[in-house]
Amino acid sequence: MIALRIGLATLFLIVAVTVQTSVLTNIAVAGVTCDLTLIVVIALALSRGPEWGAIAGFAGGLLLDVVPPADHTAGRWALSLAIAGYVAGLIRREASSGPVGPLGVALTVVLGTAISFFLFSATGSLLHDPSVDWSEFGVRLGIAAGYDVVGAIVVIPLVMWIMGRVKPARERRRVLP
Amino acid sequence: MLKDLGTPAKGLVRATGMPREIRRRRTVLVLVILACFTLIVLDARRSAGSPVEPLREAAAGVFGPLESTASSARQPVDDLRDRFAEMDRLQAENEKLKKDNEDLTRQLTTSDYARNRAQELDNLLKVAPAYTMTPARVIGIGGAQSFSHTVTIDAGTADGVRTDMTVLNGTGLVGRVVRTTQGTATVLLIGDRNSTVGGRLNSTMALGFVSGRGDVAGTLDYKLVDPKARPKVGDRIVTWGSSGNAPYVPGVPIGVVTSVSPNEGALGSTATIKPYVDPTRIDTVGVVTGPPARPPRPQITGKGN
Repeated sequence: MIALRIGLATLFLIVAVTVQTSVLTNIAVAGVTCDLTLIVVIALALSRGPEWGAIAGFAGGLLLDVVPPADHTAGRWALSLAIAGYVAGLIRREASSGPVGPLGVALTVVLGTAISFFLFSATGSLLHDPSVDWSEFGVRLGIAAGYDVVGAIVVIPLVMWIMGRVKPARERRRVLP
Repeated sequence: MLKDLGTPAKGLVRATGMPREIRRRRTVLVLVILACFTLIVLDARRSAGSPVEPLREAAAGVFGPLESTASSARQPVDDLRDRFAEMDRLQAENEKLKKDNEDLTRQLTTSDYARNRAQELDNLLKVAPAYTMTPARVIGIGGAQSFSHTVTIDAGTADGVRTDMTVLNGTGLVGRVVRTTQGTATVLLIGDRNSTVGGRLNSTMALGFVSGRGDVAGTLDYKLVDPKARPKVGDRIVTWGSSGNAPYVPGVPIGVVTSVSPNEGALGSTATIKPYVDPTRIDTVGVVTGPPARPPRPQITGKGN
C-alpha cells in the first residue's frame, strides 16, 4: 500500500512537471504559468500531512530545477516547494477535526504560492542571480496566486480523492467514529 | 517519584503523546532543507563542474520525450487560446500577412545592412550568408515565476547541436544554446537578464550591446560603445557576430529601436529595443550548426587597371 501511494505521488509529480513546462506555458497569463507542481504538492500535503508535503515538495521542486528549460541553480525550487508543502501539511493538521474546506484549500494554495515564490526569489537574490527582478515580484505573485487557485479547483479534489482511495486501513478506521 | 510525575501530568501527556510525531516531521523538514542547501551549494559553483549535471542529463533524457509528446497536445490548447482571443476569423489572414511581413522585413533589414556594407567597400562579403541550420521545435518554456527566459528545444547533441550556438527563426534572433543533452537543448533567450548580444545599428553601423531586461515581452536595452552616437527611433539592429561564429553569427536581425533615453549620470544613451521575435510565440527555430554553405569571403583576384 505504501509503495502504491509513493508510486502514485511520483506519477502525479512527473505528470505535473511535464504539463507545466510544455503545455501550460502556452496559456500563460502575462508569462506566469499555473504552478501545477506546487498544486500537486499541496494536495499531497493536505491528504498525507507535513512529512509528505516536505518530501513531495523536495522531489517536485528538484524536478523543476533539473528538467530542461531550467537554467538556475538546482535546489532553489526544491527548497521553496518543500517548505510550502510542509506548511500546507501543518494547516491540514491544525484543521484535522474534519477535511479542509474549499476556502481553506484556496487560502492554502495562495499561501503556498507566496511562500514558494518568495523563497525562490530570495535564494536567487542571495546567490546574486541577476535575473531576479523584485519590481516584478508583486505583480507576478498576484497573477500566480490567482491562476494557482483556478488550477487547484480542478487538481486538488482529484489528487485528494485518489490518495483517499489508497488510504491505509488504520487511518480509515480512525476517521470513521 | 510518582508524586513528582503527578503534578505536570497534563504537560507530560502532551510531551509524550505529541513529540514522536512532531520530532519525526521536524527531522524530515530539517533533512529536506539540508538536502536543498547541499544541492544549492554544490550547484552554485558552476565553473568547477557541477555534480548536478548528471542529474540534469538524466532528467532531460526522461522528460525530453515526455515534453515532446505533451507539446503535441498543444494544438487544442492553442486553439482554445485563439478562440478566447476571438481571432478565429482573422487567423488565416493574419498568418498570411505575418508571413509576408516576415519576408519583407527580412528583405528590408538585410538589404539595408548590405547597402551599408557596400558603402564601406565591403560588398564582397555577403552578409547573413546561408548558414547550415538544424530545425528544432520548442517543447518546453520556463514560466515567469522562475524569472529566467529559457526554452527547451527537441534537438540535442545527437543532431549536432552544441553549447554556444546561435538560435534564430524566420523573424530574427532567438537566443543561444546554453546546455545540451542527447536529445534536447536549453536555449537562453535574448530577453533574459543574463543575456548580452553584440548589436550593430543598421543606419550608422555603430556597435553596441543588447541586453535582456527580463520582462515578459522580451524588451531589450541597447547601449552603444561610442557614447556620442545616438540611436534613432525606428533604427534596426542586427548582430555583429562573435569570433568563430559562437555564440552569435553576424547579420541576424535582433529588433527595432522604440525609444531612446539618455543615461543618468553617465555619457551616452540607452535605447529600448522591441525584438522581432515574440518570446511567448516561438515554435519552430533553427540552430546554426555549421559554417555558411558557401565561404563568406571569396578571394578577390585583382586585375589592376
